[in-house]
Amino acid sequence: MTLTDRYVDATLRRLPARQRPDIERELRASIADAVDDRVDGGTDPSAAELAVLTELGDPQRLAAGYADRPLHLIGPALFLDYTRLLATLLATVLPAVAAIVALVRAMDDADAGTVVADAFGATFTAAIHIGFWTTLLFAFIERFPGQHWVINTWTPDALPEPPSRRLRYTELVLETAATALFSAFILLTPVVSTEKDADGDPIGLLSPWLWDTGVVYGLIALVVVALGFSFARYYGRWNVPIAIGGALATIACSILLIALGANDRILNPEFIAAAGWSDDANRWVYIGVIVAAVSTLAHSVTEAVKQVRKG
Amino acid sequence: MPEDELLATHLQELRRGTVVLACLLILQQPNYGYALLDLLEKYGFTVDANTLYPLLRRLEKQGLLTSDWNTDESRPRKFYRTSADGTALAQTLSHDWDELDAAFRSLKGES
Repeated sequence: MTLTDRYVDATLRRLPARQRPDIERELRASIADAVDDRVDGGTDPSAAELAVLTELGDPQRLAAGYADRPLHLIGPALFLDYTRLLATLLATVLPAVAAIVALVRAMDDADAGTVVADAFGATFTAAIHIGFWTTLLFAFIERFPGQHWVINTWTPDALPEPPSRRLRYTELVLETAATALFSAFILLTPVVSTEKDADGDPIGLLSPWLWDTGVVYGLIALVVVALGFSFARYYGRWNVPIAIGGALATIACSILLIALGANDRILNPEFIAAAGWSDDANRWVYIGVIVAAVSTLAHSVTEAVKQVRKG
Repeated sequence: MPEDELLATHLQELRRGTVVLACLLILQQPNYGYALLDLLEKYGFTVDANTLYPLLRRLEKQGLLTSDWNTDESRPRKFYRTSADGTALAQTLSHDWDELDAAFRSLKGES
């Protein structure tokens, strides 16, 4: 089997059967003509064959040319629809999945680690699935024969509304103030308290376990990171990585709070005893945390949808 | 991007589509793949073999070229010839080319 035979085979293998005989005949003649031309010019026949095949290039590319197949997964006509749909799905489905899984696991009385791990595992799996299936769908549309698909014809109606910068600035200031108050409150609870123990030292409102394990610093770090993404959104241009980063920080925060509530890790049992609160205190705090976490997630989902639609 | 690469990109963009017109004009006289490749090069149209061969089939499928197998010689070759539709398209494209040329000339202040 000569080099040319192998080249022709490699080309034909990727072509519809009915086209093969005709293309094979023509391709062989063209290669032979080119080789003869070089041999007439004084080149050694095997060197001529090598040069001609090198010039013809990758047989798979040649076959794509014959079969009129695209050499890209998703072309420019579909690319924007593809990224928009992908961003919308990621920004809406992922927080929802995280919230639902965290809630369900927390209600099963799973421990904090399990709640966090399961929620992140489910989110990760969902992200992979969304990415894969969306890409597959668009790659298929790109290859559907004889059709020019246009999902969206762009009109000026789709232009983003001019954002009310003052309103957004107010939101940003409020979020900054809330973050500062929240962090300060948490960090001060061990030293400032309404209840004192026998030695006159303050009894912290929040569980000492949070400090012993360092979880409290993780929580504050997440809140600060989420705030950072809000700043990036305000001062920079909105883009997909920032939106997804912000959503992930919010999701992580909410899941962590739910997990802590589920395991009675929020309130300090000694404080409950010293203040004479009922045993239901933990449950009420847990319910409050869940309400707050779910509404935060819902808010970030609707925000993401709005932004993606404008983007 | 290096300067010569940039130049090559711009030239490629500018010349895209001229090969089709050149083929339609040359193939008023029937000819086969490799000879056409050679002829195009002689006239100063640079095109790769792996672009030209699929292009000929695409033009044939669009009804702009017709083809016949010539088996008179020892090596059978597929001869392409510009069809009536192809000739009409060649006229339209040539006209457009002339208009572009005129537009460039007036742009550069020549009359």
